[in-house]
Parts: sequence; C-alpha cells; structure tokens
Amino acid sequence: MDSLSLILATTFAPLAAFVLAILFLMRHPRLAQVVVIAAGTLSLAGALSLLARGPVEPLRYLWFTSGDIQLRFGFLLDGLSLMFGVAVALITLCVMVYSLGYMGRDPSKTRYFAMLALFEWAMLSFVYAVDLLQTFIFWELVGLASFFLIGFWYEKPSATAAAKKAFLMTRVGDVGLFIGVLMILQVAGHVDIPGLLATEGGLVAQATPAVLTTITLLIFIGIVGKSAQFPLHTWLPDAMEGPTPVSALLHSATMVAAGVFLMARLHPLFMGSETTLGIILIVASITALLAATMAMVATDIKRVLAYSSISQLGFMLLGLAAGSLFAGVFHLITHALFKALLFLCSGLFIHHLETNDMAQIGRGGGRRMRFATAGLVVGGAALAGIPPLGGFFSKEEIFAALGHDGVSLYGVVALLAAFLTAYYTFRMIFLVTRPQQVEAVDAHGDHRRAEPLSMALPVALLTVGAAVAGFWGGEIARGLGIEAGHHSLAAMVPALAVVALGVLVAWLDFGRQTAARTGFIARMPALERLFTNGWYVDRFYDAVIVRITMLAATILHAAESKLLDANFDRFGFGVLGLGSGTTRLQNGWVQFYGGWAVVLVGIAAAYFGMSD
Amino acid sequence: MTLEGYLTLSLMLFCIGVFAVLSQRNLIAVLIGVELMMNAASLNVMAFNKFSVTDPTTGQVFVLIIIGLAAAEVAIFLSIIVNMYRLRRTIDPEELTELRG
Repeated sequence: MDSLSLILATTFAPLAAFVLAILFLMRHPRLAQVVVIAAGTLSLAGALSLLARGPVEPLRYLWFTSGDIQLRFGFLLDGLSLMFGVAVALITLCVMVYSLGYMGRDPSKTRYFAMLALFEWAMLSFVYAVDLLQTFIFWELVGLASFFLIGFWYEKPSATAAAKKAFLMTRVGDVGLFIGVLMILQVAGHVDIPGLLATEGGLVAQATPAVLTTITLLIFIGIVGKSAQFPLHTWLPDAMEGPTPVSALLHSATMVAAGVFLMARLHPLFMGSETTLGIILIVASITALLAATMAMVATDIKRVLAYSSISQLGFMLLGLAAGSLFAGVFHLITHALFKALLFLCSGLFIHHLETNDMAQIGRGGGRRMRFATAGLVVGGAALAGIPPLGGFFSKEEIFAALGHDGVSLYGVVALLAAFLTAYYTFRMIFLVTRPQQVEAVDAHGDHRRAEPLSMALPVALLTVGAAVAGFWGGEIARGLGIEAGHHSLAAMVPALAVVALGVLVAWLDFGRQTAARTGFIARMPALERLFTNGWYVDRFYDAVIVRITMLAATILHAAESKLLDANFDRFGFGVLGLGSGTTRLQNGWVQFYGGWAVVLVGIAAAYFGMSD
Repeated sequence: MTLEGYLTLSLMLFCIGVFAVLSQRNLIAVLIGVELMMNAASLNVMAFNKFSVTDPTTGQVFVLIIIGLAAAEVAIFLSIIVNMYRLRRTIDPEELTELRG
C-alpha cells in the first residue's frame, strides 16, 4: 500500500464507523462496538505503519481556488504528526476497549461509541492536516465531538451545563485562532503549513515583526482556549461530568493536546516573535502554578487529575516557549500516556466503589484493587516526575530548556509547580492506598473481580507505556529532526530535589501512620479557601462577565421587543385590521353566501332588465 | 292554459326553493329546496317545449337528463348529510362553517 491509501484508511476508518453506527446500528449496540473498535484498530495499525515508513513529502490536493488563493486538502506526514498520530490512535483504542467494560450497562452506548469514533476521526485529521484551514475545521470538529461526549449523560443538568461551558469557552479562543488564520492568508497568500514554516520565503520572512507578533498572539488565544490555559481554564474541571473514559481521552491525546500540538506544529512562527514567547511564558507559568495549587486541595480524584492536566499543559507550553520543540512534544507524549492511565485507573475505582472522593475510595478498600492501585502508583510517579518513569525525563527537558540562559523566574516557578505536582500526586496516592482504616466489607459485599478483562487490558498496556515512555526521548528527538537534549546536571538536581521534597511533605501529611491526613495548607485557611475556590476565577466570570452579558442581553431584548418588534407588530396588525371588514364576509356559512348571490343577481337582473 | 301560467307556476316553485335553501336550519330541508328549484327549471323547459318548439323531443331529452341528474345528486347529498351528522352531530348549515378562509 502506498502512503496515500494508508493515511486515508487511518483517518477515514473512524469516520466510516461513526456513520455506520449512528445511522444504522442504533438498535445493535454490540455490532456498533465491534465496528468502532475495528475502526480504531485499523487506525492504530495505519498510524503505526505510517510511522514505520517514516516522513514522506506532504500530500496536497486542490480543494478550490478563489482568486489568487488556492485552498488544499491533504496530509502532512512529518515526524511530529506521525508520532503524535500513533499516540492518538493508541490511546483512543485503549479508551474504546476500556469503555466496553465501563459503559457496558449504559442504554445508549451506540451513541457513545459513535462519538468516540467521530472524536478520533476529527483528532487524527487535525494532526495530519497540511493546510491551516483544514487544521481549523478539524480543530472545531474536535471541540464538537468533545461537546457531545462531555454532555453524553444529557439527562443530568450539570453535564449539559459543563458541555456548554466547554464549547463556549473554547469558542472564545477559536475566534482568535480564526482571525489569526485569516491574517496569515492575508499576509502570505496561502495557508499551506510547510510553506509557512519554510526558512526561506516562509511567514517569518514575509511578515513584519509586529504582524508576526499579532498573528502568533491570535493563534495563542486559540491555544489558551483549547489547552485550558489561564484565564480560560475553568471549563476543563467541569468537563469531568462526562464519563471517565472520555476524561481520559480528553485530557491526554485529544482535545486539550490539540492546543499544544498546534503550537508545536507552528513552532518556527512562534520562535519568530520574542514578545509572543514572553507572553506565553507568563501565561503558561501562571497556569502551571495556579492549577497545581487547586489540585492540592481538591478531594474529587477526577478533579485532582483535571487540575494536574491544566498544570502539565502549562509545563508543555513553557517548554515550547522556552525554545525547545523537543521538550514540549516529549512531555506531550509522556503526559498523554500517564494521564490516560491515571484517568482509566480512577475510572476503575469509581466504577467499583461508586464514589469520586479520594478519602472514601481509600476507606472503601481501594488498595485491594491491585490492578488499579498499581496503575495509579506508576502513573502518579510518572506525573510527579520520579525517575526512571515517563514524566521525569520530559519534565527535566523542560527545566533544561527554561534554565539554559541561567536561572530565570520561569524556571523557579516551574520548579515550584513541580514540587506541588509531586505533593498533590502523592497526596492522591496516599489517600487512596494508606487510609487510616479500611471498612471491613467490600462496598458491594461480594468478591467479584474488580475489573473485567476489557478494562484491565488497556490499564496494563498504558502502565507499561507510562513506565517506559521516558526512554523514547532519543527516538522522539530524531523523529523531530533535532539533537536530543543532553541530560544536564544543572536541571536534573533541582528537579529531583523538588520532587523528593514534594513526596516527603506528602508522606508527612498523608502517608505515615500518625499523619493528620490534612494538607499543610490547612494551616493557612485564607490560602486554602483561595485554592478551593479555584482562585475565584469562576466566581469572577459569574459575577462580572456573565452578569455584564446578561445585562446587555436584557437591555437588547427590551430594545428589540419594545422598539423593533412592537413596531413590526403594529404594522402587521394594521394591515390585518384593514382586511377585517371584508374577512367578516367570509364566514363559511353557505346560506349567507347564497343569500348575497341571490340579492346581487337580482340587482343585476333588474339593472339589465331596465336598460332594455 | 297559457305559457304565462306555466311560467308563473315555475317562478313560484323556484322562489319557494330559493327561500328553502337560504333559510332552512336543516340540510334535508335545504335538499328539498334544491329539488324544488330543479323541478321548477324542468317545468320551465317543458313549457317552452310545448309552446314554441317544432320537435318536442328536444325538451324531453333535456328534462329526462335533469331528472336523472337529480336522482344521482340526491344520493350524494344524502350520504354527505349522513356522514356530516356522524362527524359533527348536527346538520345545521350555520354550524358547518369549518371551511371558511
């Protein structure tokens, strides 16, 4: 098979599965599951064999021509998209298989699996897109699919509210991205990604510094929305309302990863503007720190993971903005693996013990679920950055990138965030595995296996993946065509030190037998309240932005109904009134008509009779 | 008997028919009115046939067709009335005004 048919099979298999399932298989959930998982497997096989073949020339096909502008559809198969495509296909397949068990009893699972397939199609097409317009279209489709999945349980008002919030908040960013794409079209005359990134005749050479800064900032606004960066991060914790496997998908390889991927894809453009990079560094470091503080005090296991995703996405953008494409992409891939693992493990706990609260999971006997506990510990250690697991190497690359011009403020903030990461991760692990006492009886009172094979298999696979991902650094760097970063002692020592400190503090607070099981932050009630309320960002939105919007809407509604609508009504009713006299003649009463007919014929007869 | 006599009788019958059609509150009475008007018309035709046509068969064919038509029309009219009564429980034409525009 040539690359074209391979890439077509990879991207369009999920679309075909989606169409089949949603149109024909609504009444056959088992068949729909088989179709969707077969498509997911086909995609993974396609992505893997494309990766094995290595980068090829971009495939471009003319879509339409408008004046001097040519818009193309096609596929860009370079190291970045090939590697990330495999990650997307792998994690989506894991989530699909896991969902067999997790969503086994849900009445509308055909819809669920169809939406997973839609999600995979949108994300893969986004990753392989060769044209920025194509990127934008699939970027929106990714948002649409996540809207459907977050609001999957649409009978729950909180789920529909979360879905709407996710959709609208990312839309704020999407407007920025779209304006950015249009500006690129204006400046460069095309939106072909390889053409824009070319060192000679690319956008960096064509655009003036001010224009380039504007464009990259606009694109960054889109990334802020999609990758849940401050101040548009509040939709991601609420997106926990969806089924847990969806969270695993949303937080690892799809949706939020799309923002970071776009920045990695357009990295040379961002590198062309110092101002933009500075702003990204500020936003990303604020995000990394802010979200980590919120994760410290959350009690819901999925919320801890959600905040940690926001924080880790901040880390990725820090790495990219510090100039290291490799650090950002490496962390994107390792994070995708261990975050998917962590969510799937939390799903095992939630599925079995029917609670999201970490302390209750611990008391309910979470540690007896050996599979989930093992996954949680490995994934948590990778998230915290304990060597030699996935997160350690990629995070260390970020520190190295941040610190390579000496000690910087951002490096210090990142170290602080890494300390908090280790702390809240091990707080989670200790709360689940080392409760003060375990209730004697299993929550269900029976001893059935905690996890069916369909749920255990993806967890096992991802556990291995999260454990070994750290050693893929060399391959990833080679795939990107960059020299692998040298492990610099200057970055490694402080990174290891803060992680060790974080684990130690977590052990003192939550781990040891005599621990108080409250965080050190509880001694500072004001700070704790600030963190618990998410730095009041959501409150601010509700109190200021929502209120202003509602006020404007009320005023406009009043203006519309009192001014425009009332006058239109007056006009319409006036016309109606003109006709009201004659409409009364048409009353449907046949004898009335007949009477008038006789009278009028009589008059006519009399007239003509007289004129003779 | 003169032509005027026949025509006067026919006119009176026709007017009674028109009055019945326009004033009655019962569709069967309206139907009777319609029948009266038709018979007035037949009488009219036969009167002219007797006094001013050389070949009398012309008018007779006319009237036979009218009688045949009237029989068919009564059958349709009555079935409509029965159905109307079933659906609406009334055969007052003043009540049956759903078809107004």
